[in-house]
Amino acid sequence: MKVSVLQENLAHGLSVVSRAVSARSTYPILANVLVSAEDGRLRLSATDRELGITSWIGAKVEEAGATTVPARTFTDLVSTLPSDTIDMELVVRTQTLQLSAGRSTAEIKGIDAQEFPPMPEPDGDGGIELPVDDLKEMIRQVVFAASRDDARPVLTGVLITVEGSTMTMAAADGFRLSVRTYELSAPVEEAIRAIVPSRALNELARVVGDGKEKVRMVLPPGRGQVVFTLKDVEVRCQLVEGSFPEYQQIIPAGHKTRTILATDAFLKGAKQAEIFARESSHIARLNITPGEGKEPGTMVVSAQSDETGSNEAKVDATVEGDAVLIAFNVRYLREVLEVVNGANVALETSAAAAPGVVRPMDDDRFLHVIMPMHLGK
Amino acid sequence: MSELSEDVEEFRKIVHLDLDAFFCAVEELHDPSLREKPFAVGGSPEHRGVVASCSYAARKYGVHSAMSMAKAKQLCPDLINVRHSFGNYTEYSRQVMDILRTYSPLVQPISIDEAFMDLSHLPDSTEKMARQIQAQIHHEVQLPSSLGVASNKLVAKIATNVGKAAHGGDSYPNAVMVVPPGEEAVFLAPLPSDALWGVGPKTAEKLAELGLHTIGDIAAYSFEALEQRFGQTGRYLHQRARGADSSPVRVSHDTKSVSHEVTYSQDTYDENKLRETIGRQAQSISKRLRKLQLYGSTVKLKLRWPDFTTFTRQSTLNEPTDQADDIERMALELLRKHWKRGRKVRLLGVGVSGLGPPSKQLNLWDWDPADFARTEKLETTLEQLKTRYGAKAVQRASKLERA
Repeated sequence: MKVSVLQENLAHGLSVVSRAVSARSTYPILANVLVSAEDGRLRLSATDRELGITSWIGAKVEEAGATTVPARTFTDLVSTLPSDTIDMELVVRTQTLQLSAGRSTAEIKGIDAQEFPPMPEPDGDGGIELPVDDLKEMIRQVVFAASRDDARPVLTGVLITVEGSTMTMAAADGFRLSVRTYELSAPVEEAIRAIVPSRALNELARVVGDGKEKVRMVLPPGRGQVVFTLKDVEVRCQLVEGSFPEYQQIIPAGHKTRTILATDAFLKGAKQAEIFARESSHIARLNITPGEGKEPGTMVVSAQSDETGSNEAKVDATVEGDAVLIAFNVRYLREVLEVVNGANVALETSAAAAPGVVRPMDDDRFLHVIMPMHLGK
Repeated sequence: MSELSEDVEEFRKIVHLDLDAFFCAVEELHDPSLREKPFAVGGSPEHRGVVASCSYAARKYGVHSAMSMAKAKQLCPDLINVRHSFGNYTEYSRQVMDILRTYSPLVQPISIDEAFMDLSHLPDSTEKMARQIQAQIHHEVQLPSSLGVASNKLVAKIATNVGKAAHGGDSYPNAVMVVPPGEEAVFLAPLPSDALWGVGPKTAEKLAELGLHTIGDIAAYSFEALEQRFGQTGRYLHQRARGADSSPVRVSHDTKSVSHEVTYSQDTYDENKLRETIGRQAQSISKRLRKLQLYGSTVKLKLRWPDFTTFTRQSTLNEPTDQADDIERMALELLRKHWKRGRKVRLLGVGVSGLGPPSKQLNLWDWDPADFARTEKLETTLEQLKTRYGAKAVQRASKLERA
């Protein structure tokens, strides 16, 4: 292998794959990054067997070939080299990667690329395509609701389903559910149903960049994997095994009160309440009162802590239905209000002990269900 | 008009109550043979016990509370060492506090045997009420008490102490001392400076350096000089020395934390023993939280090493709780993280703070819309029946009286 790359491209490529490096594995090869020169590009790959990330950077390839080198050594070295061309050459017999850039030279001891876990490219057909920006937004609106508790592994992932041309992402811990749908430009022939680890989606959102470039999602048959591919990046991971709960059943069919208010005002109220609620029981109380005559309806968001004090934020609202007093974990409230799109949001409630539903106005692609907190015994 | 209204300023009626030698008085009720004998309640001298309370007969020998039991035995060789019977004390204390609450909702217990109460809303003479309270406690709980009456908490508490001291002697004081409104400063003036709140031995020493020995001396001293010498404390000193204190009697459901700690009779590094202690402490905290109807969200572990340095660490629970299991689990987790095997522990304590009304995050997967709909329908129907046939038309069977 003999190849030349720009220092900044190499540094970027290494940062993309870095999160999949398994520094503390019992397999030394997993602490390495695969460096492979092919077809005018340099491929960098890292995997911890669950998550795998590949980045391709532009390169002048004089001789194809591949090796693996310790990710930490390679990354640290590259970050200190001058922003100029780096020439790399592999001494096959000793698996030593020789680097030279400006007046610096280095040799890094590697391990044969044959030892690296295979990351076969998915077959050409099947799968779906959507713009990067749309995929990132879906991830952002759903992934935070996934559980962080390993007690029920299926809930630590995000359920992705595709039926016809409708793609849905759903995540739920024990207390809230976030669901986002998306219309694909073309229907799929075969329905898709898979639970993707939250971590993989977070990494995907981190490395894909921005824009209209299309990302392709493929589930190669029989491998229990999902592969997301872009022009220069590929993220793949093992799916979570098991069956995701039938979440449609817990989405309330109706409501008694619908409260419509400005999203940012609601969010500010929740953030203020969190200052006090975080000290004790995380409770934010919502006191919702319908308007009377010319007086608008209101939602009062309040919290109190024996130690630090209390607060109340009053937000004007259009209230359809009865007055409501309901309490939520303030963090759950804040987190959904941070990701919901649109200037106005609706909160639908039925009773103090029944779930509340948050929806953006005039947009049925997103909905979020939160279980309230029960006050008193 | 405004001058007149200043003249008729309302005075508060504050009573401070202290149960005389409380632990001893309770022990005497259980064992009348102790009467008039020198005895002290507390741990045994062999187990590094400390005097929690001592009888007036023992006080004549110079025994006082917080003294080590070994020292007390030296001073008074005939001293009878009575062991704690803690359950009884809390029960007696509760009975006394309940009596106080029949006079005013504003009762602030400050320890097991001491409380403030605000009787401003009652028209009667405060002295008369104080004597009535004392008599009622004596009659119903058979315990002696001393009371101080004044226009604020500071002077009321000092009045109790002065009343007790004036009784002198070798039996329960049963004192009532009244400081009429307007006479606070005159009352305090001759007392030594350390009778004042916030004046410990060190401050008293510094005050003495300035030639200030009595509270009257402090009151007469320049405010600026006090402030310069003691800062914020100087300001308080000046106010208090004049008998001024505006702090309210706080009804103490605003408990900030519930904790439990134990000093081992011998320093221990026995992990099982430490874990057992945590288990017991979690149980007792849980019991207390349930009684207070509060949930706590932060668990604190306190360890004191043999060299008396104290170490505390705390951690917040995912969800507030009043359950012993949750408290124990978190405390054990803290022990695991911060206690190295083999390190000796003198004192171990567990506490819970971040207290709030009970609350529970409801679970999404327990939610059954069909069940909810049925309950809703039932409630609507019941409402309709009650509207049509009256409130007693439909009742729970458990509430029906037997015919």
